[in-house]
Amino acid sequence: MTPALEFQNLSKEYRSFPRRRLKALESFSLRVETGEIFGFLGPNGAGKSTAIHLAMGFMRPTHGGGHMLGRPFGDAQARRRVGFLAENVALYHRRAERLVRFYGALNGMGGSCLAKRARDVLAAVGLLEQSKRNVGRFSRGMLQRVGLAQALVNDPELLILDEPTSALDPLARVTVRELLLQARASGKTIFLSSHLLSEVELVCDRVAVLHRGKLVRLGRTQDLLQSTEKSEIVAHGIAASAFPGAVARNGVVTFSVPASAQREALERIWGLGGEVLSVNPVRRSLEQIFLEVTTGEERAP
Amino acid sequence: MKPVLLIAVNFVREQRWPIFVLLLWVLLLAFLGLFSDIPRQREDLLFVFKQVAVYVIAFSVFFGGSAIYNERKSRRILAVLSKSVARYQYLSGLVLGVAITSGIYCFALGLTGSWTLGEAGFPMSRVWFLMLCLLAACVLAGTVALMFSTFLNPFFAAGATAAVLGLPALASHTLATQWQYLIPVYPLAAIIMESSFQDPGTAFWPPLALAVVETLVFWTLSARIFSLVDIAVAVE
Repeated sequence: MTPALEFQNLSKEYRSFPRRRLKALESFSLRVETGEIFGFLGPNGAGKSTAIHLAMGFMRPTHGGGHMLGRPFGDAQARRRVGFLAENVALYHRRAERLVRFYGALNGMGGSCLAKRARDVLAAVGLLEQSKRNVGRFSRGMLQRVGLAQALVNDPELLILDEPTSALDPLARVTVRELLLQARASGKTIFLSSHLLSEVELVCDRVAVLHRGKLVRLGRTQDLLQSTEKSEIVAHGIAASAFPGAVARNGVVTFSVPASAQREALERIWGLGGEVLSVNPVRRSLEQIFLEVTTGEERAP
Repeated sequence: MKPVLLIAVNFVREQRWPIFVLLLWVLLLAFLGLFSDIPRQREDLLFVFKQVAVYVIAFSVFFGGSAIYNERKSRRILAVLSKSVARYQYLSGLVLGVAITSGIYCFALGLTGSWTLGEAGFPMSRVWFLMLCLLAACVLAGTVALMFSTFLNPFFAAGATAAVLGLPALASHTLATQWQYLIPVYPLAAIIMESSFQDPGTAFWPPLALAVVETLVFWTLSARIFSLVDIAVAVE
């Protein structure tokens, strides 16, 4: 099956006067499958926006290439089936509904179909009542929602969103999250770059972490969150002092051990006359993984 | 064609205030026509008409030279080029936008000029021919500026445009008069500046045709360069 988005050994180097060079991306390869929500993470300057801009054709790669919906990066016809929301969205100052219709028309839409679609997407992002207002008077959060509406107006197969929820209040974030989940349910692919790791953790099927222009972690969100290195054991009928770092509450003792020492710990509990209530792999947050791969330090759960 | 038209109309909309200010110059001519003794002050009227006409060439350079820069700086270009719009279409939209902007001015000036100068005895058809020359000069100057602005900032783009438009004019005075037709903005402006009640002149089409052809050449060149450049946005 053709991937929705595919980066193939992509490198991008910025050159500036006199001889300054900055490698924004280095041999970056990634495949985003159709119908998934893909989280794209990385600290500031990691090269996330550069990768997105290369995919959209705003820049030319120094090496490598890629495909978007089966067409080479930069292909205008492919962009007809793509919705894009840039980080720090900037839009023309005109009435919200007219603006969304303008962007829809740029994608070849027109007539009553476009008018209806513009109203539908504004309603979906909770701005229907504000549709006659000039976006120049909108707050940053509202502007971001209009940005999302213009990205959705052409009913895209692939949505590329660069920090879509960064300026939104919690309620609007929930709305956007539901929109993304609905989009996935209808078979759309979403490529989501975000710093809000809790959001990514909630909606993304797979995530990739980029650091200094290189892909440092890639996998299914659930697999990354479940550590295979540590297990959490819950038992009762033993003293908390029997295991270092154990916490006792209402007679129930909870502690973590390395996976390699799990069997030994269980036998010890039974030897002490205790009962094992549960054994689970320690679940980490995406934030811990993010910090681990970007700072090289393992943080305690 | 639809995206080109949409971008052009949007460009004009974004430039509505500069256009309004430009039209105040035309209003000045209209006021002069209203409150002066036209037959007696016809030379003054023609002088103002010529001045007001050639200013717009400089404004076209400003419009063309700053269009891409403004869109890049505001990052609005990203939302437009994220749609099904090829780079050459985007550029065509800007060229058409510059043409419409200049066209609005030339039309307003043509109307006012044919009324004021017409009453003073200047042939009306000549006024409209001069406006056609002005429009061709504006669009060519704007396209040259737009071409430079694809890889230079507006200040340098304006400087480079001034050099490209001015050097043939200089060469025509120092070397041979034919040099002025290399980039025919100067001879087109000269047609306007040399008009007089005594000798309104006749329609001389070659510089006009040459301007149209060169506009197409510079547009093609601009589109080629623009398709190769990165749309610079702040690096993370």
